[in-house]
Amino acid sequence: MMLLASDTRYGNWLPPQLSTHGDKIDHLIFVLHVFMAVLFFGWGVYFTYCLVKFRARTGHAATYEPVKGGASKLIEVAVIVFELIVLFALSMPVWADYKNKPPAASENPLTVHVHSKQFEWQFHYCGPDGQFGKTDPKLISTSNFIGLDENDPNSKDDLQFVNDCHLPTGRPIRMEIFARDVIHSLSIPTMRVKQDAIPGMRIPIWFTINKDATTANVSKGMVQEFPLARTTWYRIRHHVAAQDYKNKAGDIIVKAGDYLGNDLASGKEIIQKLRDAGNETVSLRPGNPLEIVCAQLCGNNHYTMKAQLKTLTADEFEAWQAEEIKKKNTELEVDF
Amino acid sequence: MSGAHAAHSHAGHDHGHDHSHGHELPFWRKYIFSVDHKVIGVQYTITSLLFLLFGFALMWVMRFQLAYPGQPIPLIGKMLGASLVDSTGVLIGNGYNAFGAMHGTIMVFLGIVPLAVGGFGNYVLPLQIGAPDMAFPRLNMMSYWVYLPGGLIMLASFFTRDGAAQSGWTSYPPLSVVNIGGQTWWLIGMVFLITSSLLGSVNFIVTTVQLRVKGLSFFRLPFFVWAQLVTSFLLLLAFPPLEAAAVMQLMDRVAGTSFFMPGGLIITDVVQNQYSGGGSPVLWQHLFWFLAHPEVYVLILPGMGIIAEVIANNTRKPLWGYKALVYSAIFLGFMSFIVWAHHMFMTGMGTTLSTFFQFTTMVISVPSIIILTCFIISLWGASIRYTVPMLFALSFLPMFAIGGLTGLPLGLTASDIHLHDTYYVIGHFHYVVAPGTIFAMFAGIYYWFPKVTGRTMSSLLGKIHWFFSFIFINGVFMPMFFQGMAGILRRQYDQSYQLHGASAQGLSLMASWSAWCLGLAQIPFIINFFYSAFAGKKVGNNPWEATTLEWSAPSPPPHGNFATVPVAQCGPYEYSVPGRKTDFLPQNPALEA
Amino acid sequence: MSDTAIIPHDVEPHPLTGMYNGKFGLWLFLASEVMLFGALFSSYVLLRTGAPEGTWPRGEEILNWKLAMLNTMFLITSSVTMVMAWAELKMNRLGKAKQMLAITFALAGAFMVVKYFEYSDKLHHYQVELVAPMMHDGHEVMRITGHNVVNKEGEDVTIEPDAHGGDANAKHAPITIERSNVKRVTTFGPAHSTFLAVYFTLTGLHGLHIVGGMVVIGYLIFAADRIWKWNHEKLINRVECTGLYWHFVDLVWIFLFPVLYLL
Repeated sequence: MMLLASDTRYGNWLPPQLSTHGDKIDHLIFVLHVFMAVLFFGWGVYFTYCLVKFRARTGHAATYEPVKGGASKLIEVAVIVFELIVLFALSMPVWADYKNKPPAASENPLTVHVHSKQFEWQFHYCGPDGQFGKTDPKLISTSNFIGLDENDPNSKDDLQFVNDCHLPTGRPIRMEIFARDVIHSLSIPTMRVKQDAIPGMRIPIWFTINKDATTANVSKGMVQEFPLARTTWYRIRHHVAAQDYKNKAGDIIVKAGDYLGNDLASGKEIIQKLRDAGNETVSLRPGNPLEIVCAQLCGNNHYTMKAQLKTLTADEFEAWQAEEIKKKNTELEVDF
Repeated sequence: MSGAHAAHSHAGHDHGHDHSHGHELPFWRKYIFSVDHKVIGVQYTITSLLFLLFGFALMWVMRFQLAYPGQPIPLIGKMLGASLVDSTGVLIGNGYNAFGAMHGTIMVFLGIVPLAVGGFGNYVLPLQIGAPDMAFPRLNMMSYWVYLPGGLIMLASFFTRDGAAQSGWTSYPPLSVVNIGGQTWWLIGMVFLITSSLLGSVNFIVTTVQLRVKGLSFFRLPFFVWAQLVTSFLLLLAFPPLEAAAVMQLMDRVAGTSFFMPGGLIITDVVQNQYSGGGSPVLWQHLFWFLAHPEVYVLILPGMGIIAEVIANNTRKPLWGYKALVYSAIFLGFMSFIVWAHHMFMTGMGTTLSTFFQFTTMVISVPSIIILTCFIISLWGASIRYTVPMLFALSFLPMFAIGGLTGLPLGLTASDIHLHDTYYVIGHFHYVVAPGTIFAMFAGIYYWFPKVTGRTMSSLLGKIHWFFSFIFINGVFMPMFFQGMAGILRRQYDQSYQLHGASAQGLSLMASWSAWCLGLAQIPFIINFFYSAFAGKKVGNNPWEATTLEWSAPSPPPHGNFATVPVAQCGPYEYSVPGRKTDFLPQNPALEA
Repeated sequence: MSDTAIIPHDVEPHPLTGMYNGKFGLWLFLASEVMLFGALFSSYVLLRTGAPEGTWPRGEEILNWKLAMLNTMFLITSSVTMVMAWAELKMNRLGKAKQMLAITFALAGAFMVVKYFEYSDKLHHYQVELVAPMMHDGHEVMRITGHNVVNKEGEDVTIEPDAHGGDANAKHAPITIERSNVKRVTTFGPAHSTFLAVYFTLTGLHGLHIVGGMVVIGYLIFAADRIWKWNHEKLINRVECTGLYWHFVDLVWIFLFPVLYLL
C-alpha cells in the first residue's frame, strides 16, 4: 500500500513529508482511506450483485417480506466502533500535540513572527538575543515592511524578510502568526502545517523539520525526466534545468540552473527548441522546492501570496543568521 | 380518479380548471401571481433550473482559466465586462473570484434549495398528503415573489463597475467588508432569500401536520414528506442567525460598524482609523456556519426523499427500514445544529472545542450511513425496473457514498490539517451535491413530469442524458480528491503558480474537459424537457403504477387537486402484497383498478 | 378570497395540535424570531466578553434609561390593550375591540417617537478621538465629546465640547483641534463603538418589528368591519395571532432594556 504514502517528489498525490509530526497525519489519512475503500468496495460488490440478481424479468416478482438485517446491523456497529477508535487513538492525540505541546525552552526553539498581508508574507527573526524588537505601524516603509523600531535595543539583531523564509532543520520552530488586514492562512504543505491568520489574533504554531530535510537534499531527490512531447510549460514553470542543453549547432539553449521561460509564450519556444535539438526528455528539478502559501481567500491576488522556504542545518542556519545581522548593521551604519 | 375528466394540459404548465368557483381567473392571476401550489411549484422549478444553468456556465469559464491559465477565453472573452476580463479577454483575478463566489451562492441558494424545496416540495407535498393546497396559499405566492427579486438583486451586481461579490460564498470578513464589488448587493439579496425561505418553511410544517387526510398517520407518510418536514425545521431555525449576521455585515460595510472588524487593521499600509475596532472575524464564521451546516442537510434531505419514492416504486417492494429512515432523518436534523465548527478547525481552536465538534461530526455520520444502508438493502429481493428515474436514483447511491465517506478525513482535525481548504473539500461536497442531490433532482423531474404535464418524457433521451452525465460528472470531481491530496488549494486563480499545484496541472485539464462535456450532456435533457411538455406521449393518472396519493389525482391535477377528498388505507409502499392481482396496493382505495 | 381552494383547519383547530393553521404558523414564526434575536444577543455576549478591560461602557453611561423605562411602560400597556381587543371580539363587541386596537397602535407610535428622539440625540452628538492627549477643562484627555462639529477634509476640526463631568447639554465655547492630532471623528451612532453598534442593530431591528406590527394592527382597524361581516371567527383569529406576535415583540424589549440600558 506504499502507493498511498507521500513521495520524494510533487505529483498527483501527497507531497513530500518533511516534519517530525507529519508522519502521523499521513498515517491517519492512509488508514482512513483504506477504511473508506473497504467500505465502498464492499458496498459496491453487494450493490452490483443486487442490480443483476434482482432485475425485473418475467417470472421474477419482488418479495414483500423485509429481509433480515442482521449483517448490516453488525457492519453498522463495526463502522461506529472504528470511527471512535480512529477519533480517540489517531486524531485526538495528534491534534493535542499539535495544539497543546509547544516546545519547551530547554529545547531551544526558534521563534519567528510571521506577518501576513495582502499579498505577501513577512518574517521577523528576533536574533540570538531571543527578544523581538518593538514594531510600530507608523514606521512601515518599503525598506522596513514590518515597521521595526530600530531605536529599540532589542532590534539590533532582528531581521526581516519578505516572502523569504529560512529555517533550521532538527530544531523546534515556533511561529507566531499575525494578520494585518484580512484573514490569511499559513500553509506549508511539505511540513503538514496549516493555520489561519486572523486579524486581531496572535496564533502560535510549532513544528520540527526532519534533520536531513535541507533544501539541498530535498532538491537532489526531486530531479525528474519530463517527456517533452506531453509536457506543458505550466507543469515545469517552477523547474530549472538539471544540466546544460545545447542545440544541434552547439549553442546552449538552456543552462543548468536556468528556468525554462518566464511565461507561456517563451516557455513553449524553449520546449520546441529542445525538441528540435533532438531531445525526447528534459531533466529538471524545482528551482525552489519548498514553499509557504496562503490557504484562505484574501483578495484578487490571493494565488500569488507565496514565500520561498529554505531549510538549512542548524549550524548553517546560525551562520546565515550571523551573516545577515552583520549585513544589516553595516547598511544601517552607512545610512547614518 | 384515473383520467375520467382529465383536464387539458397546455404548455407544460398546470393550470387546470377552476371547478369549484365557476369563473376563470385572468391570466396574470392564474399563471403569474397564482396562489395554487402547483403553479408556484412550476415557477420555482423553471426559475431554479435557469439559475442552475447560469451557475454552471460561470464554472465553464472558470474551468477554462484553470485548465489554461492566463489565456484569453474563447468566443466570449472580449465580451465580458472590465470587472471580469482584461483587454485581451483573459479572466482577471477579481473576475475569477467573482465567478467563484457567485457560483457557490447561485447553486446553493438560488438553485438547489428553491428546486428541492420550492419546486418539488411545493408541487408534490400537498398532493402526497391529500390536501387541496398548502395551508397558506397566499404566503406561498409571496415566498416565490420574494425569492425571485432576491436572486435578481444578486445577479444585478455583475453589471456594476466593480462586479459581483468576490469574497467566496462564505463571505469571511474583514475581506468581505473591505472588498470592492457587489458584496452589499449579495447581503441584501440574502435577506430576501432568507425571508422567502422562512415563509416557505412555516407553510410546509403547518401543511404537513394539519392537512393530512383521514388515515394518513405520521408513520404512513411517504419518506419524501418526512424529508421535507425535517428540512423545513432546519430552514426555520438555522437561517435566522445568518440573517442577523448578514445585517451585521451590512452595517459594517455601509454604516462603518465594527462587528467583525478587529482594532488596528492596516490595509495596503494605511491604518484603518475609521473603524472603532473591537469586533471579531471569528464571530461571522460561527454565525455563518451555524446556518451553513444545517444548510447542507437541507441540500441533501429532499433529494433523499425523492430517491426513496423512486426506489420503492421501481423495486416493486416496500422500502426496507422505513422507521429507521424516519428516525435517522429526525436525528440528522437535531445533530446538524451541533457540528458547525468543524468548518473552523484551523481558526486557532483549542482541544476542548475541537474534541466536541469532532465527536458530534463522527456521530452525525451514523444516520447518513443508516439512510444509505436502508436504500441499498431495499434492493434485496426486489424486481428492479431500470426506468430513467431509477437510473438516476441508483447512481445517486454510490455517488453519495463517495461524498459521505470523503467527509471522514475532513471531519477529523489531524487529517484536516493537510486537507482543509484544498480541492479535497471541493471534491467532497460536490460529490454529495452534484452527482448526489442534482441526480436526485433529475430523478424527480423524470418521475413526476407525467403528473405535472400529463405527458411522459422520452426514455431514450433520458438514458443518453443519464449515461453521459454520470461519466462526465465523475470526470470532473474524482480528480479533485487527488488534487487535494497533492495540496492544491481552493480559490486559486492560477493553480500552477504554486509548485505543488503545477505538478498536478494535468488533473485540472481532465476536470475542465469533463465539465464542458458534462454541459453538452445536458442538451438531450433540455430538448426532452421542452419537447415532451408539448408533444410527449399522453398518459393517465398513474403511469408508473405507484402507490402514493399524488397518483390518484388526474395528470395534471386541477385546482383543488382531488375531485373527492382521498383517504389513506395503508402505508405508502405497499408493493407486491401477496394475494393481489396487481403488484401494488395504492394508499387511496379510489385508485384501485 | 375566492381564488384559493377550501383549506381544512383554517378556522377549526386540529385534533393533534389543538390550534387552527394560522396560530400554529405564527408560533413557528416566533420560534424563528427567537433564533434571530438570540443570534444577536449571543453576538453581544461574545463581543462584550471579548472586549479588553475598560473598553466596553456601561449602558447607563451613554444611554438614557429613564426614557427606556417609559418605553417599557408603553409596550407593556400595549400588550394589555392588545389582549383586551381580542377579548372584546370574543364578547362580540366590535366597536370596543377597534378602540383597543387603536390604543395599541397609539402606544406603539409613542414608543417609536421616543425612539426617534433617542436616536436623533445620538446622531447629533459627536466624539473626536485624539492621536496625542491634549489639555481640556483642566484634564489631559484622549477624546472630546460635544456638538456642532465642523469636520472638513484637510482642515482643522471645530467642536462645541460638552461640559466635563455630567450634563451633556451644557456646552462650552467652540474649540479647534489640529487635523494632525485627530485620529477619528464619529457621532454616537453605530460606528462609534461595538457597544453602540449592537445597541443600534438590536433596537433598530426591534423597531422594525414594532413598525411591522403597527402596519398589521392599522390594517386590522381599517378592515375590521369588512372581515367581521364576512366571518367573525376569522377576525378573532387574526387579532389573536397579531396579539401573539405583539407579545413576542414586547418580550424582546423586556430583554433588550436591562441588557443594553442597565448592565
